Amino acid sequence: MDNFHVNANYIVWKTNHFTVPKEQYTVINRTASSVTFTNIASLNIQLTCNILTFGQIEQNIYGITVISGFPPEKPENLSCIVNEGKKMMCQWDPGRETYLETNFTLKSEWATEKFADCKTKRDTPTSCTVDYSPVYFVNIEVWVEAENALGNVTSDHINFDPIDKVKPNPPRNLSVSNSEELSSILKLTWINPSIKNVLRLKYIIQYRTNDASTWSQIPPEDTASTRSSFTVQDLKPFTEYVFRIRCMKEDGKGFWSDWSEEARGITYEDRPSKAPSFWYKIDPSHTHGYRSVQLIWKTLPPFEANGKILDYEVTLRRWKSHLQNYTVNDTKLTVNLTNDRYTATLTARNLVGKSDASVLTIPACDFQATHPVTDLKAFPKDNMLWVEWTTPSESVNKYILEWCVLSDKSPCIPDWQQEDGTVRHTYLRGNLAESKCYLITVIPVYANGPGSPESVKAYLKQAPPSKGPTVRTKKVGKNEAVLEWDQLPVDVQNGFIRNYTIFYRTIIGNETAVNVDSSHTEYTLSSLTSDTLYMVRMVAYTDEGGKDGPEFTFTTPKFAQGEIEAIVVPVCLAFLLTTLLGVLFCFNKRDLIKKHIWPNVPDPSKSHIAQWSPHTPPRHNFNPKDQMYSDGNFTDVSVVEIEANDKKPFPEDLKSLDLFKKEKISTEGHSSGIGGSSCMSSSRPSISSSDETESAQNTSSTVQYSTVVHSGYRHQVPSVQVFSRSESTQPLLDSEERPEDLQLVDNVDGSDGILPRQQYFKQNCSQHETSPDISHFERSKQVSSVSEEDFVRLKEQQISDHISQSCGSGQMKMFQEVSAADAFSSGIEGQVDRFETIGMDAAVDEGMPKSYLPQTVRQGGYMPQ
Amino acid sequence: MLACLCTVLWHIPAVPALNRTGDPGPGPSIQKTYDLTRYLEHQLRSLAGTYLNYLGPPFNEPDFNPPRLGAETLPRATVNLEVWRSLNDKLRLTQNYEAYSHLLCYLRGLNRQAATAELRRSLAHFCTSLQGLLGSIAGVMAALGYPLPQPLPGTEPTWAPGPAHSDFLQKMDDFWLLKELQTWLWRSAKDFNRLKKKMQPPAAAVTLHLEAHGF
Repeated sequence: MDNFHVNANYIVWKTNHFTVPKEQYTVINRTASSVTFTNIASLNIQLTCNILTFGQIEQNIYGITVISGFPPEKPENLSCIVNEGKKMMCQWDPGRETYLETNFTLKSEWATEKFADCKTKRDTPTSCTVDYSPVYFVNIEVWVEAENALGNVTSDHINFDPIDKVKPNPPRNLSVSNSEELSSILKLTWINPSIKNVLRLKYIIQYRTNDASTWSQIPPEDTASTRSSFTVQDLKPFTEYVFRIRCMKEDGKGFWSDWSEEARGITYEDRPSKAPSFWYKIDPSHTHGYRSVQLIWKTLPPFEANGKILDYEVTLRRWKSHLQNYTVNDTKLTVNLTNDRYTATLTARNLVGKSDASVLTIPACDFQATHPVTDLKAFPKDNMLWVEWTTPSESVNKYILEWCVLSDKSPCIPDWQQEDGTVRHTYLRGNLAESKCYLITVIPVYANGPGSPESVKAYLKQAPPSKGPTVRTKKVGKNEAVLEWDQLPVDVQNGFIRNYTIFYRTIIGNETAVNVDSSHTEYTLSSLTSDTLYMVRMVAYTDEGGKDGPEFTFTTPKFAQGEIEAIVVPVCLAFLLTTLLGVLFCFNKRDLIKKHIWPNVPDPSKSHIAQWSPHTPPRHNFNPKDQMYSDGNFTDVSVVEIEANDKKPFPEDLKSLDLFKKEKISTEGHSSGIGGSSCMSSSRPSISSSDETESAQNTSSTVQYSTVVHSGYRHQVPSVQVFSRSESTQPLLDSEERPEDLQLVDNVDGSDGILPRQQYFKQNCSQHETSPDISHFERSKQVSSVSEEDFVRLKEQQISDHISQSCGSGQMKMFQEVSAADAFSSGIEGQVDRFETIGMDAAVDEGMPKSYLPQTVRQGGYMPQ
Repeated sequence: MLACLCTVLWHIPAVPALNRTGDPGPGPSIQKTYDLTRYLEHQLRSLAGTYLNYLGPPFNEPDFNPPRLGAETLPRATVNLEVWRSLNDKLRLTQNYEAYSHLLCYLRGLNRQAATAELRRSLAHFCTSLQGLLGSIAGVMAALGYPLPQPLPGTEPTWAPGPAHSDFLQKMDDFWLLKELQTWLWRSAKDFNRLKKKMQPPAAAVTLHLEAHGF
């Protein structure tokens, strides 16, 4: 160190090339340094001592390898075993890992002698098999010594007799034999292991049926002593059993041997312990007097058959008659029976004997089944389909359970089973499938025959339907839709349909779900939005889940059915009503309207016309202008009609007719011909409207005339009558007729059907005249054209002026009549020409300068005559 | 006071426990020795069969019954019944111990001569077992308080194959050794059975017997 001019402070310790922290160093003196490790992380480290020369260059001085580990722990739980025929083997717990090579030595000695040590092998450090064969009945002392570099330790000594550590070999050649005398026993024999010569053994015998998985055990106290055979009792007849056996030292010291090889044996046959299940079917298509009955039975299960069934013996006894015997190998027998009651018995036979007899009563043809079971229920439990019922009040011999799969595709082929009369619940013993609907029928069988069957449906295990219901719309309204669907077929139901859920949504909206009871096949979705596309689908749920059907799309209409009509029709009606009311109003108030809109301003300058009227001087007196003005109606009318004549003949007609009506009313009480003439005069201007100027004059003259007659002097009518042309009787008649006529006019307006008859009457009343017919015809011919009609009317008026004045206004009615009485018109066609001519004449008359004259004539009505 | 009571209570269970851990007496070891003789008897039966077959005819013939020649040194198991009955336990055990000690020595000599390894293994195991029997008898004697017989120096039985012995005579000696061994095992079984029956009463009887013997 002096060479390098360093002291112990310059020593650096390294482990595996990593410097140890200075805190672990201790400087002993100038040339010595020590390092302390409190915890060794690694089992094998390289520790080097280095010095820092010149303060920075590390120089290795020396290095060692440090191997760390633990001294051995005291071995625990030393135990030994002597496998029969082999040498003793002992094992122990070595304790914690030492990380060092540790040797274990098994030492053993007698009180008088030591045995060779047993050194463990590298691959089995915790056990050792001694070299010498064990000497039984001499106690041996055994212990283990563990030793490594850090020390050695000895386990506790154990002292034992090797015979108490023996594991015998299993008994050999186990064999099973049965007994013909007893079908419930099997005798086992075996060869004991050779150690039996030096010690006493006890045994455990186990057995099981061939198909069972768990072992039954013969009570150990029955086999607690050395033996080489054993008889197992209480076994089932004709059943294969499997046996095995093991042994150990009788006092329980030592170890059980391994199990012997299994041995099999079959118990001897016994007579069948139970009568077979027995039932019958009657062929529905029986011939008269006979029925084909199929007797059916079930093979006995092995535990009841107790042997190989050789055949079945069937007896049939007709009511109080002789016996018929059948021996059958099959499990069915078809016999033809009369319609009487029969009793059938069935026994199964094996090598040993016959079973008890199953008795079955086949009732007579007319037998009425009664007393069914009640409260029939079926439910799955523990992967079986259980059926439960309440027994009828009568004592039941047995129950027959029939079941079949309900399907639309295949027919119901029933399987069956029989239960004792005391049974109230059972499970179906058959290969039942899941998701299938089983129809289970329970028939109680009484002494005198079968009772009424009772049925129930059940599933072994439900599943969601394999198909969802297909929903469709039955009716789609503006805000609602009636959905309908078909019940799912039983083959796809896979369970009881408990309920449906309808999901519907718009394209953008959230889905809405509605639950519907399974009994429904229709549902109304309400509160839908109009004119919207809806998507609806439906899920059918069983107890196990649901399955949705295809999505159905529908669009709600914009308007509900009849909604358009509901809007349009009232609107139209309202419009019509309003129009009608307006028209009526106008009619009612037409005078007022006229007054306001076009008041008649009489021309005073023409007042003299009336005064100088040559034919009616006396009338002058009764025609004061005051009166004429006071009664503006008539003057107004005249003016309107004159003006409107060319353009609106029809309303004018109406008006004129209306006027007639009014006049009629006002003159009702009168018998005066003047009334009638005034009436005619009021219509007259419209007829003569072809000549405007003249018509104006005519009008005025007419007005005056009318006024005189009608208003103001009503009460003086008698005197007026005397004054005017009362000498003519014709108007008077006319006047009498008039009320009717006027009424007819009204009727025409309303297209009343009674008109024709009245017309006839009228015609009859004026039979002597041809004019009604003519006018009638004319009218009918010219209905189509307004102008023509006007013209016709003109002519007609003229005709009436000239010819038919006798009938007065009655003829006007005739025109209206035409359409209804067309047949007539054709019949009288021949007369037309003549009338036309007459019309022409009339026109000629009107065309005369003295325009007022014809008017006067007409008014008078009798001038031409 | 309370502490005193507690101390007493503490010691109560300890007392019988101590009794139990004490020497259970010679009973179990006598039974075990009896079982061992039966076991050795069984073992010898198969060994003898094998060995006599190895010796060959006439030794392996069932009815071969040669005269006892040259086997005088072997301890004789046969004894007069009255004499046997009159033997006391100590003498009985001592005779057994001495007999097996000698027989074991002869047997070890037999082992050395055996030709096949299997036979040697069987003989070795039998020797070990016989060694165990000796130990067992010694144990019983110790339990009963009898001293082990001291082997007389000079009379140490050794297998000395004399030059006078012919091969046949040698085989004859082997035959008699096995035969005498078997007889001794029978006798020992009877001895220990008798002893076992005597020991079945509680250990007190043994003590009494010992005392009586002492007188």
